[in-house]
Amino acid sequence: METLEWLKIIVGSAFLLCGVVIFFTEIFGVFHFKYVLNRMHAAAMGDTLGITSCLIGLMIFSGFNYTTLKILLIIIFLWFASPVSSHVLSRLEVATNENLSEHCEIYEDLTILEQELACSETAESRKEEQS
Amino acid sequence: MIYHTIYITMLILLSFMLLACLIRAVRGPLIADRLVAVNMMGTMVMVIIAVLALMLKEGYLVDICLIYAMISFLAVVVLSKVYIGIYEEKHHQKESHINDTIKEEMSDGNP
Repeated sequence: METLEWLKIIVGSAFLLCGVVIFFTEIFGVFHFKYVLNRMHAAAMGDTLGITSCLIGLMIFSGFNYTTLKILLIIIFLWFASPVSSHVLSRLEVATNENLSEHCEIYEDLTILEQELACSETAESRKEEQS
Repeated sequence: MIYHTIYITMLILLSFMLLACLIRAVRGPLIADRLVAVNMMGTMVMVIIAVLALMLKEGYLVDICLIYAMISFLAVVVLSKVYIGIYEEKHHQKESHINDTIKEEMSDGNP
């Protein structure tokens, strides 16, 4: 019984520590990057993996009761909600920023992008054949 | 006792990170920057509420955490849609103004 209790504490603390480290990485990334679409990449990490790891640690601490079930419900809700909010935020940025081409490449027509990708693929395959 | 220490450490670390998020929200040059920071703050407040629920042994605080998640998601989506609407309205006004001036000039030029 004693060892089981200690095992619970150690595993739960490991999950909580993992979550806090991921949150710290998220904050570091948000301060490090220079543009919103890059910052969003760092911010989405904490929204899914960070909070999931923290809440799994808390579920292990809580034991087997209704609180655990509710925490599981929060995790499942966040899996659905977080990608949607990231998508809507990036749409806001693309719709309202007038000089977006300073920060990233924009293709007016998708066929140009497809042609470039096909060209690069054929070039790579030729290099592989030569080597 | 050891659980209490873990929860207190967790709360202190998370509150410092929350402060950093607030700084990012104040400094962010664009609207999307601020919304990303607010989204991050919502995530961290959710973890804080879940930790408090276990620390105070009050199960109903987890329900509040769930409702907080829903409201924070709704806030981000609605604010983004509102800002897109405001931007398009401004753009539309500018374009219609330019069209009006062009029409006036043409009518002036051809009496």
